[in-house]
Amino acid sequence: MLKYAFKRIVQGLITVWFIATATFFAMHAVPGDPLSGDKALSDKTRANLEAKYGLDKPLMTQYGIYLANIAKGDFGISFTQENRKVNDIIREHFPVSATLGILAILFAGAGGILWGALTALYRNRLPDTIIMFLVILGISVPSFVVAAIGQLSLVNINDLAGVSLLPIGGWGTVWHMIVPSMVLGLGTMAYLTRLMRSSMLEIISSDFVRTAKAKGVPPTQIFTRHQLRNAILPVITVLGPSIAGITTGGFVVEIIFAIPGLGRYFVQAVQQLDYTVIMGTTVFFGAFLVFMVILVDIIYGYVDPRVRLE
Amino acid sequence: MTDQSLAPDAFKRIEQTAQIHGISRPSLSYWQDAWIRLKANRRALYSLYLVVGLLLFTFLGPLIWQIDPSVQDVDQISQPPFASRTVQLVPEYQPWYPSDELSGTGLNFVAPPTTQYVRLTWDKNPAATGGYRVYRNLFPIGVERAYGLPLKETGVAENFFEDRLDLKPRNYFYSIVALDDDGNELHDQVETIEGEVIRVMAPREAISRGMLDADEAPVFGTQYTLPLHPLGTDYLGRDMLARLMHGARVSLFIGFFAPFIFVLVGVAYGSVAGFLGGMTDQALMRFADFVVALPFLLFMILFKVVFAIGPGESGIMPMLLAMVLLLWPATARLVRGQILQIREEGYISASRLLGAKTNYLVLRHMIPNTMGVILVTITFAVPSAIFTEAFLSFIGMGVAPPTPSWGSMCNEGIKTMLTTPHELIFPALLISVTVLAFNLLGDGLRDALDARMRNRE
Amino acid sequence: MSEPILSVSDLAVEFDTYGGTVQAVRGVSFDVAPGKTLAIVGESGCGKSVTVQSIMGLIPIPPGRITAGTAMMNGVNIIGRKTVNGEDIRGGQIGMIFQDPMTSLNPTMNIGNQIAETLIVHRGYSKRKAFNRAIELLDLTKIPEPEKRAKQYPFEFSGGMLQRAMIAMAIACEPQVLIADEPTTALDVTIQAQILDLLADLQRETNMAIILITHDLGVVARMADEVLVMYAGQMVEHGGVDDIFYNSGHPYTMGLRAAMPTNQPGIDARLTPIDGSPPDLFHPPAGCGYCARCPHAMQICVDNPPPTYTLGERHETRCWLHHPDNNTQVEGINKAVGSSP
Repeated sequence: MLKYAFKRIVQGLITVWFIATATFFAMHAVPGDPLSGDKALSDKTRANLEAKYGLDKPLMTQYGIYLANIAKGDFGISFTQENRKVNDIIREHFPVSATLGILAILFAGAGGILWGALTALYRNRLPDTIIMFLVILGISVPSFVVAAIGQLSLVNINDLAGVSLLPIGGWGTVWHMIVPSMVLGLGTMAYLTRLMRSSMLEIISSDFVRTAKAKGVPPTQIFTRHQLRNAILPVITVLGPSIAGITTGGFVVEIIFAIPGLGRYFVQAVQQLDYTVIMGTTVFFGAFLVFMVILVDIIYGYVDPRVRLE
Repeated sequence: MTDQSLAPDAFKRIEQTAQIHGISRPSLSYWQDAWIRLKANRRALYSLYLVVGLLLFTFLGPLIWQIDPSVQDVDQISQPPFASRTVQLVPEYQPWYPSDELSGTGLNFVAPPTTQYVRLTWDKNPAATGGYRVYRNLFPIGVERAYGLPLKETGVAENFFEDRLDLKPRNYFYSIVALDDDGNELHDQVETIEGEVIRVMAPREAISRGMLDADEAPVFGTQYTLPLHPLGTDYLGRDMLARLMHGARVSLFIGFFAPFIFVLVGVAYGSVAGFLGGMTDQALMRFADFVVALPFLLFMILFKVVFAIGPGESGIMPMLLAMVLLLWPATARLVRGQILQIREEGYISASRLLGAKTNYLVLRHMIPNTMGVILVTITFAVPSAIFTEAFLSFIGMGVAPPTPSWGSMCNEGIKTMLTTPHELIFPALLISVTVLAFNLLGDGLRDALDARMRNRE
Repeated sequence: MSEPILSVSDLAVEFDTYGGTVQAVRGVSFDVAPGKTLAIVGESGCGKSVTVQSIMGLIPIPPGRITAGTAMMNGVNIIGRKTVNGEDIRGGQIGMIFQDPMTSLNPTMNIGNQIAETLIVHRGYSKRKAFNRAIELLDLTKIPEPEKRAKQYPFEFSGGMLQRAMIAMAIACEPQVLIADEPTTALDVTIQAQILDLLADLQRETNMAIILITHDLGVVARMADEVLVMYAGQMVEHGGVDDIFYNSGHPYTMGLRAAMPTNQPGIDARLTPIDGSPPDLFHPPAGCGYCARCPHAMQICVDNPPPTYTLGERHETRCWLHHPDNNTQVEGINKAVGSSP
């Protein structure tokens, strides 16, 4: 197991290097250069700025410096916000995105497993039909529409209640987090429900559940010890990639609910062509996602003995 | 049972005539069988009809509804469907010089409110030592005491107001808030009035719209009818139906074309890897693993920046290119797995033993046996491509205006979600219905093409 | 013959499916005494497994439905019940093992815990005590290094080992009846023999009754005291193992025997298959179910279900050939001494 974890982490590091390289060369292939912005610069200022950002050196030297800096965990200085370090931007805004993302994935995971198991147990009966209809809707409605509807209903609920029950935007308290994280997790929850349902249906008709029944194990115990635990396995395997989907899907939710997260900042940086911020956030987000996937895989190993012991 | 009831020949031997080994059903090809199973799946069949309907909407629609999607109808801005289209001819605007005689009737309209002007007057309030502030709102004043848009602060002596600011034919709520000496609002000294603004037009405008001949004598009070917009107009007065039809082209073009290309690339890459095997396969698949690990949306945005949009371009091609660059590995993996699996099948060895050449094996066995999987992949890739386009356009990274796409229409619509929800609802509905149809169709196809997956949902 | 421990009579089971209602079991009766083995044989889909699963309450209801019949154990009808005289039936009074040991064990739970679970549920053992007993049971079923093995997971076991573990699980609470549903079908031949020997040994030690479901007549010959031959959801012949092999009274039993390889020299080595396939149980035939495939079919077989004829002590069959008015003699079939419709 340790060997497996070690192997995965080495793989992860190589993947992060690949992401960093792809980002670097993609950004350097952008037509024009970061300094040819809106204001015309004198040759002297230009030369000074190029020296400051290291743009005067050959491409491969720049690449080397860039990699060395990333290895040290230094993403450079913003182009558009004078002297603001990208590290500071990440440190300030990433925890917000991460909190939102983690809440959303918890909501999606718990909901998906619960609804999936429920629909499988009530297969082809009313609860199943209703939930699966909602699931199909959840998969088919784009995240920004869900976010808009979420905010709209919040406005209406506050209006009906006559007091502001939950804030309709912003960040800070737990109350700010509830609706955005639910909205963000909804699509993934629908997807996980579907997955859990089919996995549970397969388990329900499996031979070992029949064995457990023949042993006389009570239904609740069959559900928890035999069905649920085995049915969750495929759900866990997709949890890693789902985290990626949720974090990037967070952009929209952050924009609509005015949440000061890294995603919103990234979109803004792209619109302003803030090169170092774009590169820094991409590499950081990429590394975060890669290691979340690895973490999920390692957790999976602990749940499934077939992986753990090999 | 009694023996008496038995017929005399009860114990006569009978010859077995029934055909025991007969084949009772006609033989069906793989695709015939799949088609029959797909037709039996009601949800999938209706989805197929829906997809055909969407294609008709996109390609035949603009031939029937020939309105230019970029033409602005400035008389009908942000109009919901089925809104009144009448306009009344009124005299040209004349400035207003109100006198003090108007007071004594409370807050009311001096003349019926029209899109030309809304004229208000109210009683002087002794508490209003600092004058009055005039607000306009689209909604009734709720508990949160949001009066809406502040229009003007008037002096103590001024108990009248004329509103000519961007008036639309709809209901408005005007509030007059009294101010104290320091200019603070006195929330217990508020008067609100609701008024329905009707659409009017002066002769000069009517002539420019072609509703009135230049040499014709205007008859004031005449009702004219404005052009029809079945699904209303957007915030620039553009026809929603025409924009949805043209937006469908962008959304469906990306939705169909991007999956088609990246699946093709994936198939080529995967089959090469699967066929060559060994070190080449390992290297190729490692590279695919790296591409899979790239955070998809981040790189979509990044590539959109890299393949920058020149002036006058719609930005569809950069999006297509970015999708193809990032999405091929999933198909490549799938196809490689299939090829590796099929290579080991008995019928391939049998065919090879019978002298089949590689070309024949590929064309006769490998491709037909992977077609099902590829088709299902494409069907599920379509909704995700449509989602991606919508997402990018929504955050302003997609197609460039004025080209409409469902995503960019949603982006515009969401800003006026509270006042004119139809601008968001229609494009969002079309995206959802399209994605739904393709998801259900994909489910149906998967079940029809793969008997092993029939029990899965 | 001592008092039967389990006695089933007139059991009928139906399933609702999209195609209609399947009458999977249409009136089956048998009984089994302590220390004895009853083999139920027949083709796939003839209702063998459904019969025993409905006794155990393992068929899903709906779509399944037990429409008639009783299964008496210690004087109580256990159909639809969970306990008999305060003892749990499933896993307690009746143990069961299944065909494919590879898929019949929970892949994410270790073997020891899976055996211990039975003891915790039925005997109220503590987790530790149950686990220790599980190790003893693994030892009893001749699994080497039971302490180590108990902590392992199913994927670390071979097929034969898993079936031993299944047996250990089934006999953990010392059941009076053990139902073995094709216990050796998924195993290779040498392992089959070991498992059958193990079952026979355990039966000698505990005096439990075994109901053995199989379609392998070799297994029947080796294990069974009595045999129930089923066809299309009904009993066609029932008797002692010698009666069935040497004195059979039904063309189907003869057909089965002809389709079985022998090692007697001098006999034509060619096997004779039974042509055709069993009838569709959506619309079971009005007369004898075997009529369409029977080489000796008569006019009466088409529309009239045959009554049961007694051929000897505890040997009976359902076939019109045994009717006293029938004068045709079929080679190999001994006519009944009397009829009991």
